Amino acid sequence: MSSTLPPVPAASQSPAETIVEAIRRNLPHVPFAEGQTATDTDLAVAPEHLLALVTGLKTRKELAFDFLRNIAGVDMEAEGLVCKYQLYSFKHGHALQITVACPPDNPRLPSLTGLYAAADWHEREAAEMFGLIFEGHPNPKNLLLEEDLRIHPLLKAHPLQKVEILQGIEEGPPGFKF
Amino acid sequence: MSIWPEERTYTHADGFETVDMTINIGPQHPATHGVFRMVLTVDGEMVVDCEPYIGYLHRGLEKLTENNDYRQAMGFWDRTDYLAGMACEGAYCMAVEKLAGIEVPERAEYIRVMLMELSRINSHFMFLGAFGADVGSFGTSFVYAWRERERIYDLFEEVTGDRMFPTYFRPGGVAMDLPENFEPRVRWLLGSIRQGIEDLDRLLTGNEIFVERCTGLSPLATDRAINMGVTGPVLRATGLPWDLRKAEPYSIYPRIAFDIPTGRQGDIFDRYFVRLAEMYQSARIVEQCLEQIEPGLVLNPKLPKNLRIDNGECYVRNEGTKGEYGVYALARGGNKPYRMKLRSPSFCNLAGLREMVVGNYVADAIIILGSLDIVLGEVDK
Repeated sequence: MSSTLPPVPAASQSPAETIVEAIRRNLPHVPFAEGQTATDTDLAVAPEHLLALVTGLKTRKELAFDFLRNIAGVDMEAEGLVCKYQLYSFKHGHALQITVACPPDNPRLPSLTGLYAAADWHEREAAEMFGLIFEGHPNPKNLLLEEDLRIHPLLKAHPLQKVEILQGIEEGPPGFKF
Repeated sequence: MSIWPEERTYTHADGFETVDMTINIGPQHPATHGVFRMVLTVDGEMVVDCEPYIGYLHRGLEKLTENNDYRQAMGFWDRTDYLAGMACEGAYCMAVEKLAGIEVPERAEYIRVMLMELSRINSHFMFLGAFGADVGSFGTSFVYAWRERERIYDLFEEVTGDRMFPTYFRPGGVAMDLPENFEPRVRWLLGSIRQGIEDLDRLLTGNEIFVERCTGLSPLATDRAINMGVTGPVLRATGLPWDLRKAEPYSIYPRIAFDIPTGRQGDIFDRYFVRLAEMYQSARIVEQCLEQIEPGLVLNPKLPKNLRIDNGECYVRNEGTKGEYGVYALARGGNKPYRMKLRSPSFCNLAGLREMVVGNYVADAIIILGSLDIVLGEVDK
């Protein structure tokens, strides 16, 4: 018996169309492109409009995105760094993803720490792992890595190797490659 | 700000002078529940600043996942929240299934939910034991909790072959079917678990010193908790009945009846009590699963030998033991994920530590840290 489960009644699915419309109606001054991931509605926005968009999403009562779930950096190699923000509204129960693509030579984004206290550690992590620069972050130190380490391990160009070997302190096992 | 901030002096109204002092706690310290370090700045007995340092257990989970294929990488994921390995495997498998569009047989979903809920009970037992030790019942609560944990681990070993890191789930189901005597075995275990919870309940909630110590300590308002990104039992303790199993239901949870215990003011006692009540609910869920489960396949038979995903993006979240356990996954072809990001609940809850600790006594700072129930494997990835 391999009967399949009934589709999960995802709260973010059915009102998704109206969310985008509501955002367009509430924030007509912010240009964004609409998309869809396997789980959420996706808004692609330029870095200079991010702060205006998120401020509107948080403060407008119809939208009320009060919870910043997650910030994930992604290295798209030649196309530059991308930052993904996942938002959720406890009031309305809808979820949203924001995609911000940085130009390849300028990985700068506005910090969201003024809006969400949760952004603090997420941004520090994305900054150290990818070399993203969050302008206006109150404490832009390394979080998981050593304080004086200036490497960005999650970049695709970074080899999968022990830090000591990369720094030349230790020698790798001969002929060994992961 | 440096690790050792400049000493600050205060002159009080009566001419009495005090000097701030820094206290380093960790990374090797029993009260930090792992390799966590915090630097407290104290004025007398009061904490005026707290700087947490994490990363001592950073193993590069995300980088490793990007460099292993979809099935290989699962072993790293149950080492995140190592107290509830199967809850993490569940989230990881759900993300891969979402990307690849794989269906899971019904029986496998029931097995997963049962094991995930037993993991939750297991993790909460660890919390009760360690938290009791933090507050001052020394070894007693630990031993009580360990007795039950040992029995749960024995069951895990019988079912999966391993105790802590089972790697039992697979994208598309689970690795093998349940052993024959599973049902009577679990029913006996649930009885033992209920007895264990009651024992701990009597030991801790029945202790006036414990209750006095925890009630009203470091209360947290719901709005502030949401803004800080706090989820799980700590958020529910503030009075918001938000549980992803009900808010954004997944797997077979819509078919199962259970309640969401909440607290009133988000203080330490509420956090403790919410977890205690949750364990009864988890036991209830497992019992219902035992009644509803039917024989059948446990692994989707149409799985490809080499799992390749052309394109896809998802953010899968489930209710981990500590809060919202989210997996952001991006596939761009090949047999490896292009990007996998873990949104770990302990990490996000711990980010709010400074705000919760400042203004309390040093001895209470330890309890507040304990009440967040962090797992450093999950914080540091």
